[in-house]
Amino acid sequence: MISENTSTGYVRFDQNLCVGCGSCLRVCPTKAIRVKSKKAIRIVEQCIGCGECIRTCREGAVSAATEGPELLERDHVAIALVSPVLYAQFPGVMPKDVLLGLRQMGFEHTIDMSYFLEIFQFATEEFISRNRKSQIAPWPLISPVCPVVVRLIAFRFPNLLPNVLPVLRPVALMAREVKSRLIPEYNKKGKDVVLYYINPCPTKIETACLPVRKQPASTEIALGINDIYPELIKHVDQIEAAEGIPFYQTRFEYETCATGNASMWGMSGGEIADMDIDKSLAVSGMEETIRYLEKIELGLFQDIEYIEFRTCREGCLGGVLNAIDKYLAKGAVQKMIKRFGLGRRLHRDNILRMYEKGEFRSEKKPSKLTRLFGAQKEALSIDSMHKIEKVMEVIKGTDCTACGAPDCRTFAEDVVRGNAALKECLFVAARTGKKG
Amino acid sequence: MPKFKKRFNIKGRDFIRAGEASINVQNLLKSMDFNPRLIRRVAICGYESEMNVVMHGGDGSLSLEVDTDRLILKISDDGPGIEDIELAMQAGYSTANDDYREMGFGAGMGLPNMKKNSDQIHIESKKNQGTVVRMVFFLPEGGKTD
Repeated sequence: MISENTSTGYVRFDQNLCVGCGSCLRVCPTKAIRVKSKKAIRIVEQCIGCGECIRTCREGAVSAATEGPELLERDHVAIALVSPVLYAQFPGVMPKDVLLGLRQMGFEHTIDMSYFLEIFQFATEEFISRNRKSQIAPWPLISPVCPVVVRLIAFRFPNLLPNVLPVLRPVALMAREVKSRLIPEYNKKGKDVVLYYINPCPTKIETACLPVRKQPASTEIALGINDIYPELIKHVDQIEAAEGIPFYQTRFEYETCATGNASMWGMSGGEIADMDIDKSLAVSGMEETIRYLEKIELGLFQDIEYIEFRTCREGCLGGVLNAIDKYLAKGAVQKMIKRFGLGRRLHRDNILRMYEKGEFRSEKKPSKLTRLFGAQKEALSIDSMHKIEKVMEVIKGTDCTACGAPDCRTFAEDVVRGNAALKECLFVAARTGKKG
Repeated sequence: MPKFKKRFNIKGRDFIRAGEASINVQNLLKSMDFNPRLIRRVAICGYESEMNVVMHGGDGSLSLEVDTDRLILKISDDGPGIEDIELAMQAGYSTANDDYREMGFGAGMGLPNMKKNSDQIHIESKKNQGTVVRMVFFLPEGGKTD
């Protein structure tokens, strides 16, 4: 049975702010929202955490289920895992100064993702070049980087799960490295460690399925970029205003090493631009992503090797939890690329040795994902299909959404499944002359 | 139980909306929870035949029938028809013009692909009298699981 709630694991909802306008209904790609008694209700299992409802809500009634930075004041060692999208929020500021600002805010370590993005690129190139011969996975391979895309596939396009590149996502590689190298040190000293993922989108990081033999004790918390921005910009401004270059030291190579290559990842196409793949595409935006996935299911694009999908327009820079406009951020990234160039720092040979040992292989079983996000609803029988058609004839659909469903077809399905009453349709009510 | 039938229109030469009928069929089958591999086969056949209508056939329609033991796809159009069906079924045979080939179509694999992915295929066509393609997909023993 489906469970309905105002909030899900990804989004939080404020009943008092919702005016029941229904704009979130139309943008939800999994049709997980209904408006009942003028309040938006979500079908929890169908939420894939894309954040489109947060983006569209003018009342500010929907927010990400991330935590606030006040947690930092508690007694623990705080480690920030930083997405390169963060740097783009500070045009003209060097990434190292942004990381320094984070340390001034109270983070003990600031882990930059560049290093892991490069590892991912090497591993992806290797998998694709081997796949040309072995044909283990079907073309086109789909980037696993955007977690919303992967969940969207599990929910609406389970046929395409074998197309998802079976390489660990950069953020998973980063979490694994921190867990195996940094955290044990602190655990030995008896200190609690908390990992903070600083994200442009409301997705949780599912590290439970990481291939770490012994999971060290740590807590993981997701922070939205906009959660920390007001505080962080104060520190960054101070650092920028300071005379002379502030001196600081880091212990791990991946603590301060942002590159042009990495900053590019925030833009649509940034993942594939520097990859050594013959035929690749980058698609961004929810509608476009769905349109392409539908076409791949029809058997198209088999001549393409790799497709980078981002459900946010313009890529992660368009994530709903960013602090500044995506086009301003894009401008900042373009300047950064110009300044840093696009070279890689890691050596392919080292990465290939690790690849041989299977260190980047994603163990995520497609079937597990389908169980999580797909096949939630009971299948419709031939009989119910007839009934849905009959309801559709009666309501003569205009997709007005006044009933609280995103469209007439979904409403008809709700009626047949017993989750809505026919008289909730305004047209039906008007025709019968009585109000339900 | 009566069969479930649904018909979708196809507009000739409309390359922007080409594929929509097949996507609709695919979504319908998904909501009925058919085996993903079967859905894929039906979708491929639907798309190939839909493209044939868009390119050669003028206006037409794609209809899906769901029965307890089989699915049937029927594609009909009012186009120029197929002169020699046997020849058209051969892999690599195509009457597509250069424009279509430039768009990546016209490899002559449409009908062979439909034959490969369906359990039965029947084509009825005469010159200048349109074409009707009927493809049958048998459901595994016990029919649909519901």
